[in-house]
Amino acid sequence: MSGFADFWAGRDLWREPMIAGVLAGAILGYIGVFVVLKRMVFVSAALSEISGVGVAFAFWLSAVLGIDPHLHGATPLLLEPTWFSLLFACAAAALFSFQPGHRKLATETIVGLGYIISSALVLTILNSPRIAQEAHAIGDILFGNAVTVPRQQIYALLAAALAAVIAHVLFFKELLFVSYDRETAVVQGVGVFRYELLLNLVTAIVISVATRAVGALPVFAFSVIPAAAALMLSERMRSTIVLSVLFGVISAAVGYYASWVEQLPTGATMVVVASLFLLPGLVKILRRSSV
Amino acid sequence: MELIRLERAVIGYRTPLLPPIDLALSAGTTLAVLGPNGAGKTALLKSLLGLLPLIDGRRTLPQGRSPRVGYVPQRDRLDMSWPLTVLQVVLMGRARLVGPIRRYSARDRAAARAALQEIGIGDLADRPLYALSGGQHQKVLIARAIAAEPELLVLDEPTSAMDPAAERVLLDLVARLKSAHNLSVVLVTHQLTAIPGFATDVALVDRERKVFEVGPAEQMIEPQKLALLYGREVRVAKVGDKTAIVIGDGAPP
Repeated sequence: MSGFADFWAGRDLWREPMIAGVLAGAILGYIGVFVVLKRMVFVSAALSEISGVGVAFAFWLSAVLGIDPHLHGATPLLLEPTWFSLLFACAAAALFSFQPGHRKLATETIVGLGYIISSALVLTILNSPRIAQEAHAIGDILFGNAVTVPRQQIYALLAAALAAVIAHVLFFKELLFVSYDRETAVVQGVGVFRYELLLNLVTAIVISVATRAVGALPVFAFSVIPAAAALMLSERMRSTIVLSVLFGVISAAVGYYASWVEQLPTGATMVVVASLFLLPGLVKILRRSSV
Repeated sequence: MELIRLERAVIGYRTPLLPPIDLALSAGTTLAVLGPNGAGKTALLKSLLGLLPLIDGRRTLPQGRSPRVGYVPQRDRLDMSWPLTVLQVVLMGRARLVGPIRRYSARDRAAARAALQEIGIGDLADRPLYALSGGQHQKVLIARAIAAEPELLVLDEPTSAMDPAAERVLLDLVARLKSAHNLSVVLVTHQLTAIPGFATDVALVDRERKVFEVGPAEQMIEPQKLALLYGREVRVAKVGDKTAIVIGDGAPP
């Protein structure tokens, strides 16, 4: 069988992960425009890691309480890793909204600290003998093995994407204003803190849920690469957003297909495909600078 | 009628920057806040606008509400790489008037275009932000402030990167807008040349020398006061109907 025929024949296996990847690519492609323009790329990386700590913490707590997650129905709803992932990511997003900078410790340093400490915490918990049997699940979150995605996570991703779209449709002008020129928005009496909090919470929820579904690496990549590629090609907000979403969707779909056919790691292949979209913009910039 | 009043206000981020301040901003005045770099001008402006809590003293609003403010930030603080058109930036000035959830209406777009027209850059409305010169960008920010239908226009060092001719053109534009829209103006600047003939009132500010003094411009543009502010000899002379200010080499008398 040819590569595509083989791929098509296995559609029952890849349908869910493909839907999750495409959904994540689309919504992160959109949110990424704000992430890149607001120069908060590492906030997105930190949120992804912090949500990973939430998941790891849920597993650790279950182990401490003696609950075996392999037993059907054994994990109480409150110990579901998704809740902890959301809780940790939203708490971090709220903290970042306070712009916790200091003259000796810039906000970006604090974000960096959040990233580093979270990464270390996840690795520590991952290697804890208490939850060694869960290591593979946390590993999937960390390294982006988006091969199998339960339907439940697709629904969660769909709900998160819907929440993000609704928030942005309702408050687009405010989110744009406070993101572009915070100082003037403050002076003119636009509620800057609440809109920054909304933007950060929505970003945290999407990143947290998407990290559970497709992994940290593709999530970080989808929140940066499509938007960066679109910004290099477009000079209008609307077309930037459309291009970024399109790049995210294509990266996820083509990346998944390529990983299936060539038997490559799924998350990493999606990221490589997304990176290809940077090329037209780079060529454009090189052409301009050579004139 | 007063718009904002500071009474025995101690301003600063944690420690006081200046001596306690009494300052009343009246409708129709043009207040220039003058001082060297790092003098505490921006802290004073933020305290006046209620953005920086006072360490001590009171900020009162004699009208019972905050005046509508049109704000022109320092141009170099803004990112020109955003994929926005000039019209999109000017429309931001209408965000507070429109309120949350609602979109900009045809009326808002018309108001934004009218503001651009009034500033003399109506033809730039659909141009991308990155394609503007520094002077055009400055005018876009003023148009955005005017689109906010302000009672108080606040400009934070608007002429800091301008040559004297461009500075004069900009100040003339602000003076014209003040008169056309019946505005009060607060101008923060470290450039002495911006003040004469423009400001009705001047506040001299310097945290190093713990200076705060406010009064009518003709009383404040005075060699001894300016020499105290800048720590150098200052000469003020009339050239035709204009006032020239020259900072000398010597120490203040």
